[in-house]
Amino acid sequence: MTTSTDPNSPLSLALAQLRGAADLEALKALERDLLGKSGPAGQILASIPTLPPEERKSAGARANEIKRALEEALSARKRELEDVALAAERTGGDFDATLPPAPLERGGLHPVTRVVRDLEDLFTSMGYTILDGPEVELDWYNFEALNIPKDHPARDAQDTFYCDPEGRVVLRTHTSPVQIRAMERMKPPFRAIVPGKVFRNEAVDASHEHTFHQMEGLVVGKDVSVGHLIGAMKTLLRGVFGKDIEIRLRPGYFPFVEPGFELDARCPFCSTGCRVCKQSTWIELLPCGMVHPNVLKSGGIDPEQWTGFAFGLGLSRLVMLRYGIDDVRHLLSGDLRFLEQF
Amino acid sequence: MKISTRWLGRHVDLTGISPKQIAEALTIHTAEVEGLEPFLPHLGKVVVGHVLSREKHPDADKLGVCQVDVGDGTTRQIVCGAANVAGGQRVAVALPGVELPGDFKIKVSKIRGVESQGMICSERELGLGDEHAGIWVLPESVAIGKPVALVLGLDDWVIEIDNKSLTHRPDLWGHRGVGIEVAALFGRELKRLDTSLPANASGPVFPVRIESASCSRYVALPIDGVSPRRSPDWLRALLFAVGQRPIDLLVDLSNFVMLDIGQPNHVFDRNALSKDGIVVRDARPGERMKTLDGVERALVPSDMLICSGDAPVALAGVMGGEGSKVAEGTRSLLLEVATFQPAVVRRTSQRLALRTDSSARFEKNLDPTLPMQAAGHFVRLLREIEPGATLPCPPTDVGPWRDPARTLQVRPERVRQLLGDDVPDDEVAGILTRLGFGVEKQGTVLAVRVPSARATKDVTIEQDLVEEVGRTRGYARIPERALVADIAPPKRDEGWNRRMLARALQDRLAGGARFRETISYSFVADDLLAKLGDENEPHVRVINSGVEGASRIRRSVMPSLLGLLEPNRRRRDTVALFEVGKGYVPECSSPKGEPAEVHELGIVLAAAATKDARFDATSLARLRASALDAVRAAGFAQVVERPLTAEDAPRWAHPVRGVTLHVGDARVGFVAELEPRLRRALGLVGDVDSDAAAALISLDALLNAERKPAAFRSLPKFPGVKVDVAVLVPATVRSGDLAAALEKSGKGLVEGVELFDLYAGGSVEAGKKSLAFHVRLLAADRTLTEEDVQKYLSRVERAVGELGGAVRKA
Repeated sequence: MTTSTDPNSPLSLALAQLRGAADLEALKALERDLLGKSGPAGQILASIPTLPPEERKSAGARANEIKRALEEALSARKRELEDVALAAERTGGDFDATLPPAPLERGGLHPVTRVVRDLEDLFTSMGYTILDGPEVELDWYNFEALNIPKDHPARDAQDTFYCDPEGRVVLRTHTSPVQIRAMERMKPPFRAIVPGKVFRNEAVDASHEHTFHQMEGLVVGKDVSVGHLIGAMKTLLRGVFGKDIEIRLRPGYFPFVEPGFELDARCPFCSTGCRVCKQSTWIELLPCGMVHPNVLKSGGIDPEQWTGFAFGLGLSRLVMLRYGIDDVRHLLSGDLRFLEQF
Repeated sequence: MKISTRWLGRHVDLTGISPKQIAEALTIHTAEVEGLEPFLPHLGKVVVGHVLSREKHPDADKLGVCQVDVGDGTTRQIVCGAANVAGGQRVAVALPGVELPGDFKIKVSKIRGVESQGMICSERELGLGDEHAGIWVLPESVAIGKPVALVLGLDDWVIEIDNKSLTHRPDLWGHRGVGIEVAALFGRELKRLDTSLPANASGPVFPVRIESASCSRYVALPIDGVSPRRSPDWLRALLFAVGQRPIDLLVDLSNFVMLDIGQPNHVFDRNALSKDGIVVRDARPGERMKTLDGVERALVPSDMLICSGDAPVALAGVMGGEGSKVAEGTRSLLLEVATFQPAVVRRTSQRLALRTDSSARFEKNLDPTLPMQAAGHFVRLLREIEPGATLPCPPTDVGPWRDPARTLQVRPERVRQLLGDDVPDDEVAGILTRLGFGVEKQGTVLAVRVPSARATKDVTIEQDLVEEVGRTRGYARIPERALVADIAPPKRDEGWNRRMLARALQDRLAGGARFRETISYSFVADDLLAKLGDENEPHVRVINSGVEGASRIRRSVMPSLLGLLEPNRRRRDTVALFEVGKGYVPECSSPKGEPAEVHELGIVLAAAATKDARFDATSLARLRASALDAVRAAGFAQVVERPLTAEDAPRWAHPVRGVTLHVGDARVGFVAELEPRLRRALGLVGDVDSDAAAALISLDALLNAERKPAAFRSLPKFPGVKVDVAVLVPATVRSGDLAAALEKSGKGLVEGVELFDLYAGGSVEAGKKSLAFHVRLLAADRTLTEEDVQKYLSRVERAVGELGGAVRKA
């Protein structure tokens, strides 16, 4: 009978072999050899039928003891080897984080579409209807109905593209004509915004385009006041810039509103003056005002019954502000070097 | 427009109010201030010197060496080249350290060996005009050592107001008007201004005849005993400050009156005028005249002329004529102050691109009561400087003008309602009174007398007075209010549906199919239309375009996209772009003249051309997949393709290599390779040789089609079987016919057929092609057996045989 302390006993040799296994594969081979029929326990079990009956029981116990010892040693070594493997894997090997990932072909929406969608979602959530209007527009909607008769100096500033010699059809110079179209279609009270393209017959440079995007807003209701306009504009800015922004109204003249305002917003990019606000801490953001009674009348709405406000947001400019685009000509260029940045 | 604060001080006491405060108040309450600058700030550093002596420079004949007392107890030696410098003069001295206009910093220097400790300045060197004949000799009375700005009244601030923000305020085109505003805003008294005409002799009046309908008032006032001498320094300084070049007393006063009370006027040398007097008439066709700036102008009948007898002497409201201008020998004047129709002046000045201070004011619709005030103002100012000036006769005052002053009813309740703020009645009345309106309470209403200066244009309805109250109080005082109304979800109307459709298509193409969205100009270039063969199609045309390439409006988004292919292909191997946009079709216009509007999705895909692209990797194949997918994703799961026919194909499309897209009965779009000639014309050849395809989908057609979202089918209860079938068929057999045969052979068991390989050439015999399909078989009620598969395959063999081909055995 050999004892477990004998270093040369089959069990001791087997345990030593298990503890010394170099890797999981070697361990697996040893498991086959040492825990199988030809292993120390297996041999004892195989020899049991040849033993005298009184020794069989202790031989069986002995085989089990050996088997358990071997299994323990096996799983201990297995854990050790797994830990080593994990540790090795966790070192990361030769991973190079600066090696670029596989290129992914990417599509994307135009930055104007992105901003328009944000605004549409914002205004829809506040009960505004989103309207569309024609780019090729009648003089009536673009000027006359908006209290801008022929010979009105405000027409000069608009640099209009005319489409016929009688001046009946123009490329709309602002999104405001849709104010009248809205009044024709909807009964007050209503709220609407109108994003869209507008046109000015003027020379093009980094900050001037003959085609750009605007967004008109129009609210008509009972007792709608300048106070409501202020509230709506603050909400708009909160939606656009994600924080409360101080505003101020200055007198501004636009024939289709009375009183008319220029709305300035505290520069969202600085507190002491920067390039964007031309060091003034204020950004001239949008013209707005109370809808002129003549405009309400043009749209078939009684100005004694209803009042309203309107605003005109320079969408292209807002897009440029948001993305830091320095040249308006990029927007409609269709140049992939520009489009791929969004 | 430039406003001098010193000038403003003539109308309102500004003690204790800084220029910055004025500028800010005007910005917040009145009009947009664009700039605020000290007037020639270096004049605060240039001091009055007293030339004690001048000696000739030892080494240069033309230079003098002056000893100058600059009031600080020392005597400076200054070398000066001016011929007019002499001992005893008061002069303007720039000492070392002072910076003059043009980055000119004064330093101690040696001039031909003699030290010079400063510079005696000419007016030009100080930025005060062109005078450079010699140094500027100051009056005897000015105190030595004091800054020149201070002793000569040149310390001033210039406020620049954006002209555009004054379009509706003719009253603010002079310092008086701005003074009224400032007085009201700061609660100061307005200084009195006497503009009554002094007594005149009773000689015969100057004859004036108005023949034009566009002149409503003409005042002509002869003045004698004048000469065009240099204006006093105070007058020159004020003109300089607002950017006017002083010329001579008579012209300067004319300008001063305009810039002071906003009324343009003109001074003629009366001796140069005909004895027949002044005739105001419209120009005759072909008539010409030479304006003050020396330019010969061709006139049209809509121009109005001031004529001496029959000869034009001024272009009414715009500019005087060359021949009758005040000159050195002028001793008697005719002062013209008139009221012209704004539109006429505006048209003439626009047509001739001749914008003047005068035309800018007339365009604004001036107060017709102003001309006589202007005449009185001119004469009173003139008399202060030239006491010998006399009026030989009464003024001539003709024309059908009427005082526009009117009374408006204002309901304080309406003021409160529109502003959304509780403004007490008294405050409404008080503000209007301060602004120069007459206010009388009549029950709950205020009867407000609008003075003529505000009545020509700006204040015509109650709402205009609401603005006066609101802006003067300050809009910042109005509390923010939340809009209250019943909120209903947006109506699912045509506009909503179109927007949602556009969004779905955009999202799918940009997100799934990886196309880049672009937004193009609505203009389409003529050469692009020519390449497309669309140049004779009707287009909305701009008739007055000042922008190159901006003359025709597109009928479709397609040309815009096609034009982007070549420039982008020069920089990218693959160009994948789409646009959701509008086109205009003028031959389908509304009775009012609105051209029909079409809404489209255009997609283009161009990749570097290659001979061995897989069947599913060509631009057309990729674009078809993307277009189908986008339309399906937008809610039209039933969309199908049909082969393109030559008669259906649009001009941009290859007549054969393309498909049409159909939803139900409606054709909703095209997907095709580019027509070969067009592809070449677009420049997609040579090093940017491209495999290019395009798709055009009508949003309008889709909106009219029935929406069928993907329908759910129960998940299979039994496993299916995947079978691959490879066939060799004559090259003429269509893939779709094979797929149909494979499906039909299943007798209801085929769940899907998918082509995964196609080739010809190489080991495949000529005239044949090899196709391979994955076929999914599935039964709803049982697990399929090997026998089922074998039966299927034998039916397939038969069916393929009928098509002239054979199944290839693995």
